[in-house]
Amino acid sequence: MGSDPKLARLLEHPAIWRGRSAAPLQVLPTGFAALDGQLPGKGWPRTGLIEILIARFGSGEFDLLLPTLAALTRAAAARWCVWVAPPFMPFAPALVSRGVMLDRVAVVNGARPLWALEQALRSGACDAALGWARQPQPREIRRLQLAAERGRTLGVLFRPRRAARESSAAVLRLSVEPCTAGVRITLLKGRGARGTVDLNLLV
Amino acid sequence: MHAPKPPPVRLPAPACESLGVARVPLRRVHRAAAAEVVSLELWAGAHLPMIDKETLTRLAERAQRFTPRVSLAPPDGLLLEVRGSLHLFAGVAGLRAALTQDCLHLKIQPLIAFAPTPSAALAAARAGKPLEVLHASQLTGQLASLPLTALRWPQDVLERLKRMGVRTIGAVLRLPRAGFARRFGATQLAMLDALTGRTPEVRAAHRPRVRFRRRRDLDYELQNHALLLTALTPLFTQLGAFLKARQCAVVELECRLIHRQAPVSCCVLRLASPFADAQRLRELLGAQLDALRLPEPVRACELRAAALVAYVPDSATLWQAGEHGGGSVRETHGFIEHLRARLGPEAVHGLALLSEHRPESAWAVTGPPAAARQHQAPEPGEVPAPRRPLWLLQTPRPLSVRDGLPRRRGPLRLVSEPERIETGWWDDGEIARDYYTALDIHGVRLWVFRERAAPHGWYLHGVFG
Repeated sequence: MGSDPKLARLLEHPAIWRGRSAAPLQVLPTGFAALDGQLPGKGWPRTGLIEILIARFGSGEFDLLLPTLAALTRAAAARWCVWVAPPFMPFAPALVSRGVMLDRVAVVNGARPLWALEQALRSGACDAALGWARQPQPREIRRLQLAAERGRTLGVLFRPRRAARESSAAVLRLSVEPCTAGVRITLLKGRGARGTVDLNLLV
Repeated sequence: MHAPKPPPVRLPAPACESLGVARVPLRRVHRAAAAEVVSLELWAGAHLPMIDKETLTRLAERAQRFTPRVSLAPPDGLLLEVRGSLHLFAGVAGLRAALTQDCLHLKIQPLIAFAPTPSAALAAARAGKPLEVLHASQLTGQLASLPLTALRWPQDVLERLKRMGVRTIGAVLRLPRAGFARRFGATQLAMLDALTGRTPEVRAAHRPRVRFRRRRDLDYELQNHALLLTALTPLFTQLGAFLKARQCAVVELECRLIHRQAPVSCCVLRLASPFADAQRLRELLGAQLDALRLPEPVRACELRAAALVAYVPDSATLWQAGEHGGGSVRETHGFIEHLRARLGPEAVHGLALLSEHRPESAWAVTGPPAAARQHQAPEPGEVPAPRRPLWLLQTPRPLSVRDGLPRRRGPLRLVSEPERIETGWWDDGEIARDYYTALDIHGVRLWVFRERAAPHGWYLHGVFG
């Protein structure tokens, strides 16, 4: 590559984007150094939709997210952190003990969770919006991703493991499963990210 | 009754004193008192011929955009204290034009006069003279030529004064005070004193009604939601003007749709925080109307807002929401209202912590949390709390047991020391449990407990995230 200076100069043009280099990304640190190292931009993306694929609730997915959510709700001009149609009611003492400020948390239940999630992502009134969906259409995920970018919101969509084979418009997809003493994270999609991370959470 | 004979207008000074009557004529007393150059108050008096009571009230409400000190002078007068507002409306001329415009809007041709006392302003307006007296020292001079009829005194008083040859305000002010009071009563003298500013006049400010209730009969019956919302638009415009005049906001707005036979359809918009933007209210109500099923076409609609609160405007942020961490509070409000309008008021709620050891009573659902943060975030780690699961089941779910150990799709492995929670003996919800963290065969961490009471059953109570 470096052998041809003409080609190198041509490739310096800002309009040319090559797969191995990643544009700088605004990120939120996850709170886990091992995970930060693997994620594109060294953290969760600040805006955009993340998909977390889990086989069953309680696979450790919130151990990954809660440090970030706590930091978001503690920021000076914190916006909402909205939970749209969670499978159970989030237990307030657990959130508080993990550092989440309850006055920024809103739980939305109702007949149309995907619509509510899209509103939350699009409105610009939320720092983060979490949603649970069984079988969203690819079109709906694309809408969610666009809404998250428009509202500058971090969207997190929890989906079953079997969705790993489907394509998705989310900026980052990872699958989480429990393993001995922690969780195993498999990065399925992300700018320049691939691989598996084992996190020890019981320290 | 006294014989109506003309009283001496001026007595020689010694005679005056011997009678115990103040020698100084009325208007000279006033001049001495009004030493200040600029009076503190300036009143605009409007004479509104042939106005009815309701229109007068509406005009008073509109006029509150000029000043909060609006006073009714029924049946056909309106008074505004405008000294502080002059610079906002380009002086007296600008204010006169704006006030005239408001009156013409209600199809009333006004006559407006400005004077340092309310009575003088009103008298000048009623006399048909658009005076602009800005200084108290000029007041009596300017009033002198006005006819006495402008004061609206009782007819017999005016008649007697007329027979005395007193036809103008200037003439009556020259009469001696004591004699005037004796012949025509203290009330009339007090009115003269108020007219010239010798005694301050207290006028009750018009207090507008604090509820909004407007009805609109439709020209033809409507069933289409979009058209219905369009038909409601004038009511929302009125609501916006109403709220602006009072600096109020609504927390509850009721829209009643009246049908020919079916009972009235009601659509109530409950807001988490006070709202004053009529346009946004209209959008929110529109979202709620869409969900309403109309049994019949609508003949008339009515907007009611009973609970009004003082409106405290938010300061707008420089940055857009999300930029540089800036989040507009208004936008934050709107989002929650939007969801509530569409999904129902119970759909959105917040969470709160209760100080209680029983896990199921340690939290509560609250209304949507306030948009602004009330207290600073405590430092993390300030609350040392035992490890709690992220999800708590509404009611504990019994687990099957084999060899004294709980099972759920396979044996559960207890991975923590027991945590004993034994409390609530003072009410009926007594519990005595040993809580454990358990791992199931898939590696999911569960929060299970064993009853300390007789059957020693095992229950699943929560799932760690």
